[in-house]
Amino acid sequence: MDFDLTDEQELIRGMVREFAAAEVAPIAAEIDREHRFPEELLPKMAALNLLGIPYPEKLGGAGADYVSYVIAVEELARVCATTSLIVSVHTSLGTWPIFEFGTQAQKDKYLHDLVTGRRLAAFALTEPGAGTDVAAGKATALLSGDEYILNGSKVFITNGGFADVFVVMAKTDPTKGARGISAFIVERDTPGFTIGEGERKMGIRASSTPPLFFADCRVPKDALLGGEGNGFKVAMQTLGGGRIGIGAQALGIAQGALDASIAYAKERFQFGQPIASFEAIQWMIADMATEIDAARLLVYRAASSKDKGHSSATEGAMAKLFASETATRVAGRAIQIHGGSGYTESYPVERAYRDAKITEIYEGTSEVQRMVISTGYLR
Amino acid sequence: MRIVVAYKWASNPQEAVVGVDGSVDWSRARPGISEYDLVAVELARQLAEATGGELIGLTAGAKGVGAPIACKAALSRGLDRAVIVEDDSLEGAGTTELAAVLAGAVRHIGDVDLVVTGDSSVDVGAKMVPTVLAGQLGWAAVAEVTAVSGQPGTLRVERTVPGGVQILEISGPAVLAASVDAAEARLPGMRDVLAAGKKPVEHLEIAALDVPARGAVVTVKGASRPDLKARKAQIFDATDPAAAATELVTALRGSGAL
Amino acid sequence: MSVNAWIVVGDHPTIGNLIAVARSLGGQVTAVVAGPRSVAETAAAGGVDRVVWFGAPGEAPVEAYATAVAEAIAADPGVVLGGRHSSERVLLGAVAARLQAPVLTGGHSVSAEGGEVIVAHSVFGGIAEKIVAVSGPVALVLDGGPVPPASAATPVEEVAASPLSMRVIETKMSAFEQVDLGAAPRVVGIGRGLKAQGDLVMIETFARAAKAEVACTRPLAEGLNWLGKDRYIGISGQHIAPQLYFAIGISGQLQHMAGVRGAETIVAINSDPDAPVFKDADYGLVGDLYEIVPAITGALS
Repeated sequence: MDFDLTDEQELIRGMVREFAAAEVAPIAAEIDREHRFPEELLPKMAALNLLGIPYPEKLGGAGADYVSYVIAVEELARVCATTSLIVSVHTSLGTWPIFEFGTQAQKDKYLHDLVTGRRLAAFALTEPGAGTDVAAGKATALLSGDEYILNGSKVFITNGGFADVFVVMAKTDPTKGARGISAFIVERDTPGFTIGEGERKMGIRASSTPPLFFADCRVPKDALLGGEGNGFKVAMQTLGGGRIGIGAQALGIAQGALDASIAYAKERFQFGQPIASFEAIQWMIADMATEIDAARLLVYRAASSKDKGHSSATEGAMAKLFASETATRVAGRAIQIHGGSGYTESYPVERAYRDAKITEIYEGTSEVQRMVISTGYLR
Repeated sequence: MRIVVAYKWASNPQEAVVGVDGSVDWSRARPGISEYDLVAVELARQLAEATGGELIGLTAGAKGVGAPIACKAALSRGLDRAVIVEDDSLEGAGTTELAAVLAGAVRHIGDVDLVVTGDSSVDVGAKMVPTVLAGQLGWAAVAEVTAVSGQPGTLRVERTVPGGVQILEISGPAVLAASVDAAEARLPGMRDVLAAGKKPVEHLEIAALDVPARGAVVTVKGASRPDLKARKAQIFDATDPAAAATELVTALRGSGAL
Repeated sequence: MSVNAWIVVGDHPTIGNLIAVARSLGGQVTAVVAGPRSVAETAAAGGVDRVVWFGAPGEAPVEAYATAVAEAIAADPGVVLGGRHSSERVLLGAVAARLQAPVLTGGHSVSAEGGEVIVAHSVFGGIAEKIVAVSGPVALVLDGGPVPPASAATPVEEVAASPLSMRVIETKMSAFEQVDLGAAPRVVGIGRGLKAQGDLVMIETFARAAKAEVACTRPLAEGLNWLGKDRYIGISGQHIAPQLYFAIGISGQLQHMAGVRGAETIVAINSDPDAPVFKDADYGLVGDLYEIVPAITGALS
């Protein structure tokens, strides 16, 4: 069992870390404060092949393995949870279904642009009445001649305000539950498709998460992705893959909070000593570091299994579950270590605390992850 | 056009631990290619791209400088191939010896039109390897180079002089030491990193390089930690800037600094 | 036993310290000059025993004479001294290669003992000190300094040389006013903490009140181009040892502080209480420089 990273993975970590420090860190607090999507980062990330990391070189991707992908997302999240989310949603949720389920014509039309970062992708599943209960979705896509007519609304759609290509789930057969759902590729600016105002959130504030509205939105028949009635399968498999990306994001948030806490503990003097010399703080750091390392092993293992071709739903679920709960816990402890200062905007840990929570919720709540894991064990 | 970039795989002295006896412990330091060397690679790369030239990385040192990760770190920066001289006899090698080995390697590579180096190494910082290297090769050398263009035989080199810049024309092969701000080193993309491992790496034996014998014997007589001026590190509370300013000026006048 | 010394000279006449060190070795001191006649004459009047000069350089830069300098010295190798300017380093490098002589930098004491040259020098960016004894020729890079005139001048021996094929096409002087930071008793250094170029006015007002020269860290001199490069202090820039140095908006990284270690008194002003500069300073003020600097300017008036 080899726990060492390859040279390439080490170099990728270094490169993304350097990019994050030079281009992302200087704007991270500002974009959070202003709820502003960092559009200017997209071409810079595209230039470094960060928007198509696990996709084949011949398509325009980086041709890297999933472990490298996870490392890149982690390094971005250390500095800015939103930036890492833009990458992981675009890569795993928006692009992947087209890569996996698309017809050759669909792949030829969309993949190169998405994988080179020329166009941004989003994934529209969630509805006001359908979060975990996907089958309760009310959006419809009724066949009419050579077109499907989409009606309904979606909510909390990450990258929504800036994406060009949306993978949208809607019911082609409203009489059925999950089996009535189909997936479609819908482009921005399609008549009948409007994008609402971004939601103002507690954390990942710079992430664009608007609602989407479909009012007699007509899409050609060949916009159907993965066949009629297969939408639930498309969605579940997509989310299964996205789990590892969120695990990596949570891991990065936690690591950033730990790094900040270590630096603070060494410089903050109370009672004539740095607080790092007090056992209470030392034990907090020890616990945080151990939990983060455990999360890291779960996330990297899930990615490595995927690379080896034997990914399991349980491994991905464990990684996402544990890493997200670790992030929340670690971020809270980070503020405790910082004391009153940690509660102010002058230090980055309050942002980490606000950013961490959503990782326990989106792309499958912790409750769903527990269901997946227990199903895997109690079968 | 054949351009060699001589880089160093070395650690930052800020990561070294110095004992009371002046011994330097590098074990906790992580070696890498310094910022200044990356500027040199970028400068050379721009010239190679403009002239359709070949870009070859070259380094010499003790065990480790030719490790796969070190080679890949260099090759991911746009080099076409790398040439390495890795030998434990080069542990702690001085400027002149290192330059002699590099010169031997340049001669071995053959038909080299230009050697570009960084301003100085991150660990030694002598700024002399490029000039001694030029001397070993019998070539022209220019330091503080901010731009280079042209073809072999009519190389145009821009360099900093006190108060401005000067443009030189050089007819033969040359060694150029890039100024620290000659170019902005670009980050390698993921594809560059993944492609690095596939580029050719040639390891040269030091014995095959015909390195001339040293001209002098250097014996270390002693080592110590520097006698750094102990600083007072007295902090004035600047919540009231005017009050702090008065306190500071009083202290400076009192100590004779003002 | 005295040791003969050579001094390689380009177009900078500031070789005072080199002459002093050379003289202290007790032997013959020869200056080899590859610059204009005026520099050769300064050397000749500076107390050396011999001056070898390659004649008016014409269009050739100093570097073109590197091989000629090396050949002149190869005839009688010894200790070779050169200054820190880039062209002087090129000359010295050629000599070191020709003699396969070791090169030592950061030297602060040089002496001759029993035919050997003993040099105490700082190594690895100044984190440690070493004392070495060299038996054989050695090349030393040393700080320059003005040449005090000696009692009598030596004749300048003009010799022929075939320079390398290099020529100066153009020289463009910058708009910045030149300054000699090494001679300033007080220096105000500014760093990244300064947000806009217009804020330099506040710094200049302060510097005037403190009777100090303005210097800066690398990003300002080379990246941002707000000040001329001769104002840059750091490992790759100048090393100064003024009586008083103000580090304003400077974090205190090794690369910059190596240039001011020798200052008598250092005052640091920075908004980050964790900045390393405070450990290297005698007095520190943690706060907003935009408030503190005008306050000190006021207190000085």
